[in-house]
Order: sequence, then C-alpha cells, then structure tokens
Amino acid sequence: MTTPTPQTPVESVFDGKKRPTLLAAWRELVLYKEVVWSFAVRGVRVRYKQAALGVGWAVLQPLAFLTIFILFFGRVVKVSGGGTSYAAFALSALVPWQFIASGISFGANALVNDADLLRKVYFPREAPIFGAVLSVIPDLGIGLILVLLATPFTGAHLTWTLVFVPLLCLVLAIIPLAASLPLGAMNVYYRDFRYLLPFALQLGLFASPVAYPVTRISPNLRPWYALINPAVGPLEGFRRVLAVGTTPDWGLLGISTASALVLLLVGYKWFKSLEREFADVV
Amino acid sequence: MAYAVKFEDVSKQFRKGGARYEHFGTRVLSAPRRAMKRASGKQEPPRGKLALEHVSFEVPQGEAFALVGPNGAGKSTALRLVSRISQPTGGVLRVRGRVGALIEVGSGVHFELTGRENIWLYGSILGLSRSDIRSRFDAIVEFSELGDAIDTQVKYYSSGMQLRLGFSVASHLEPDVFVVDEALAVGDINFQAKCVDRMTRLVREGTTLIFVSHHLPAMEALCTRGVMLDQGTVQIEGSAKDVLAHYIKEMESRRDVTRLVNNNGRVRIVSATCHAADGSERYSFTPEEGLEIRLKFESDEPLKEPHIVIGITDGRPGGLIEISMLDDGSAPESVGREFEVRCRIESLPLRPRLYEIWCDVIAQDGYGSLMDWMQIAGFRIDAPIGDGKKAIVNAATAGAIAVPYLWDVRS
Repeated sequence: MTTPTPQTPVESVFDGKKRPTLLAAWRELVLYKEVVWSFAVRGVRVRYKQAALGVGWAVLQPLAFLTIFILFFGRVVKVSGGGTSYAAFALSALVPWQFIASGISFGANALVNDADLLRKVYFPREAPIFGAVLSVIPDLGIGLILVLLATPFTGAHLTWTLVFVPLLCLVLAIIPLAASLPLGAMNVYYRDFRYLLPFALQLGLFASPVAYPVTRISPNLRPWYALINPAVGPLEGFRRVLAVGTTPDWGLLGISTASALVLLLVGYKWFKSLEREFADVV
Repeated sequence: MAYAVKFEDVSKQFRKGGARYEHFGTRVLSAPRRAMKRASGKQEPPRGKLALEHVSFEVPQGEAFALVGPNGAGKSTALRLVSRISQPTGGVLRVRGRVGALIEVGSGVHFELTGRENIWLYGSILGLSRSDIRSRFDAIVEFSELGDAIDTQVKYYSSGMQLRLGFSVASHLEPDVFVVDEALAVGDINFQAKCVDRMTRLVREGTTLIFVSHHLPAMEALCTRGVMLDQGTVQIEGSAKDVLAHYIKEMESRRDVTRLVNNNGRVRIVSATCHAADGSERYSFTPEEGLEIRLKFESDEPLKEPHIVIGITDGRPGGLIEISMLDDGSAPESVGREFEVRCRIESLPLRPRLYEIWCDVIAQDGYGSLMDWMQIAGFRIDAPIGDGKKAIVNAATAGAIAVPYLWDVRS
C-alpha cells in the first residue's frame, strides 16, 4: 500500500452563531468537487441501471412530447413554425426544456432522497443538488444529438451559428440549479413540495415558449417575459440556433442570464442559511 | 495538551417536537391561528428540547476517548456535532483534522449502488482523492470479507454485511478523528474482535478515536480518557477508568431490575446489589476483598427448594464463574412469597475490568426455570496494572482470570 498524502490537520471551528459567507460556501464546495462528481455519476448510474429502456428514456421523452405537440399545436391549433417546420421548431425547444424540467425535479428531491446520507455523513449540503443537476447533462447531450440526427426529417436549417450551443447550454444549466436550491430546501421542511413540483413543472412548460413562438408576445412585453421567466432567453436561443439557423436574440438571452444568476445567488444564500438544520429535520 | 476536539460551552437545541417536518399546507392553514395567538400576547411554546446544555470537554489528540451515558444523554448528538452532520445552536466546537464517522449501521452507504461504487462514493465524501482511494481499495475489500458480494447492490446485503462495508471503508480512509457510534452492535463476534483490533491499531498509529458503545468492557479496553454525559450535561470528565467507574456506579444505583423485559415469570427479582465486607453498597472491588451479592425476590406462591444460579462474565459469551445451588445442593427447603438471598464471594481472582452479574432461578426438581437468565447487576475489579510493557489498550482484552504463577526461563 502506498503511503497516503499527508494531511495537515486543519482546525474547523463550528460556532453556534456565525453563518458562513457565500464565498466560503462556494470554496468549500470546490474542495468537495469529488463528492459532487460522485453524486453526479451515481445519479446517472442509478437512473439507467434499473430502467429497462436505459438511455432510450432520454430519446423517448422528447419524442413523445413532440408527437403530442405536432398533433395538437401543429395540426389542430396550427401554430406556425416561424420560417421552419413545426416539428423542427418544437423539438429544438423541447430538448432544452426537458433538461430544465428533469434537472429541477431531480435537484429539488436530491436532499430528501439522500436523507440517509445527510443524517449520517457530512458534506456540503448543496452537493447532492449540484450532482443531481449535473447528472441530467448526459440526457441533454443525447437530446441534442437527437435534434441533429432528426434534421433531415424535420427540415431544420442549420448554419455556423451552431457554435453558440455550448454557451446556451451553460446559461441553461443555471436555471435548474437556481430553482433546485430553494425548492430542495423547502422540500426538507415541507414534504408536500414533492407533490406540488410535477404540477408546477407542467405549468412551467406552458409558461415558457416551447409550444408557441416567443413572437406571440408583444415586443415591448418580451424583456419582462425573459426577466420573469429566465428560461425564455436560452429556449429562444436554442430554437434560433437549432431550427432557424440564426444567432440567438442577445437581448433576451442577456436579460434571462442576469435574472437566472440573481436567482441563483439569492437561492444559494437562502439555502446556506437553512442548511444547518437539514440533518435534524429531514 | 494538544486537543483533537474541543467543546466550548456547546449547546444543541432541536426544533419544537424534535426532528420532524410538517406539511406546508398545514403551516399555511395554521398561520391565522398563530397570528391570533401572537396578537393576544400568548407566548409560543419553547422552541424544543435541549439535547446538549453548555457542554465543555476536550478530546486529546491521538487517544481513544470514551463517551458514555444512559440513553438520551446526548452522546449521539455530540458525535453528530463532531462529524459536522449537525450544527451547534450555541457555543463553539473546534475539530482538528478530517473526521471519519461511523454512525449507525451502514452509515454513508447508498443502497442502490454496489459495494464497490459505495467505496468510491464514501471515500470521496471523506475528502480523499481518487488515487488515495485506489491505493486502499484492496485492503478495504479484504477487511470487509465481502468477497464477490462487492459487486452486488448494497440493498441485497444483510445488516452485518452493511456494517462490515461501512466499518471497513471508514476505518481504512485514515481519518484524523474516527468517530464510532454503537457500530459494533451488529456483526458476529469475530468481526467485532477484528474491529476492536483495527481501532486499537489506528490509535497506536496516532488517530484520535471517539467511541460510543454500551459494550463497556470493549470501551475500557480501548480508551484512556472519557466523559460521561447525562441529560445533556457533563457528569464527569477524566481517565476512562474513573469515568466508567462513575458511570457503572451511577447506573447500578439507577438500575431497576423490576423493569427488565423478561422479569415477568413466576419468580421475579426485586433488587440486586453488591456489598463490601462491612455491608456497605459498592460496585468496585479489589481482587482480595471479594464481594457480597444481595438479591431480593418475589414469587407468586411460596416455593420449595428454589435453586439460585449466579453467573459472572466480562461480557464475552459464556460465563467465567458460575455459582449454583444445583451444584452444591444448598437450596433452601422452602421460602415465602418474598425472600432475600445473599452470596458472599471470598475472593475474586480476576483481572481489573468490568464484569456483569447474571442470575436465574431453577425449580425444585433441578430443571424448568422459574426466572429467566438475565443480567441483573455489574461491578468492576480495580487493581494496579503490572509493571510490564503491555500496552494499556490491551490490558483488558486479554484473559480475565488471575492465577498465581512463576516463570522459569532457561537457556
């Protein structure tokens, strides 16, 4: 056996009154990055281990929604694809939306699902939430590949603007994190959030420009729309890049990013002020 | 003296009604009522139970530390604070170094994952890099005796297997402070011995050990210092020997044999006490002075020839000493509904440690028990440990009987 890396005993002080600052919390989370990573890997494993379809779920879910959307909004309500086919239009926003929805539902339930660990081992309490959101990223990857493979059938117009996809993914990832931190904390105290959540996510689907184009909102209301619902900017961005072939709407994207970041900071701060009681309550 | 863990006036208060969650709906619906209460000037009930109340003590670096106390004394709460699982509500707690905690069976184990995956997860939670874990991996698997089961999901493990995995991981990741809570309750005797052995080795290599167990002989074997908690406050802090002596005396004086679960047969024990030669009640003795055990019984009807059997053990399975009226034929001809039995043991050639007293009552014919075999009291033998170089931690794991002997070495 090789000798372990020598560890200088660092003194940790737990004061009954002091609260850690947000920066200190973030630094600690970085120290525990292996733990976040382990939670993420575990999330992916557990999700696909016992599912008969395995990775197929990541493909099946957006396709099922797409079918319903095409039948209902495309044929019955006749929503226009705005320069492209309705199939390309809907799929390009469905995949990122699916990421937000499953990110929030896994993230918000992460602490309750790991109640056993929470009660018995120490790690920064946000680690399971960050891990859960990370664990959904492979699904997003699979979904994006699906969008690209489906291009010949949907008739999406793809150009060089595809280079913005990574940037859009980055902004997109802030949203489930920002939502999961406060929701996850509430879930620890009040178990009915667990039942409220699927309902809220369904509402969220229709409150975001997934089935309909953002152009249905009048131009002077659009910035407010992107501010209140930070999903608007990245979803519209994905749609332009993956279906229409133009650059994202930088104004909307900027507003949404700023709004998501503020939400994240406030949510994180709130989470940290509650976390010391989690193990006693959960 | 350098400390590894230091409690400075630490308090821990749980939320009202203990650790429990409520429904958000209930909370919203009860808001008007709570507002009215507040408006009418009524105080909300106090915030909750104080699990620890201004507790101060130090755990010295590199020593094994015993934390004892009756149920609900705050031992587990204290351990949770040390391992950062829960946070103090008052005071300051200082911890030097990395803490590895084994709290309850299978702590840190995730049921959907295999044993192998759990080692990686728990290792990273303890703050180890991947190469650190890789270098210890084989040793962990070997110690756990899990063999091929290491690739099975933990949910299919027995509780003993979970314990073995949990203990192996926690003890091999070389924490600076190793916290063990009641973990030895499960697992067979061999594995328990292996765990005690492992902990002894960790302490020798400089790890600080904080040990909670109801297995007092194991605690005395391992620990050099300790503290006794009772109802959230420190009762006594000092050498493990003194703390355990105080604890056992305190517990013996509170022991209520009438409430033992099995104490509901035709004959029931009312009290069991130990006394010195002058008749005073005591629970620590030297080997020479011996002791007197006084037992009071009650019975449904007057008995003919009840056979009293007393056993003395140091916690290992099987008795060390058996004193039985079945052997010596000294059963009383008859006794009334209430009777007292005194047994004077002239000398106890035993080594210093804690012992348990067990007892049962056998019927007139010599078979059929009137009272089940149960532990009714305990005592300790005090004697200076010899001048040899034996490690203190081993002094109480070795043989229990002291015999006169003489070495003769020739060459």
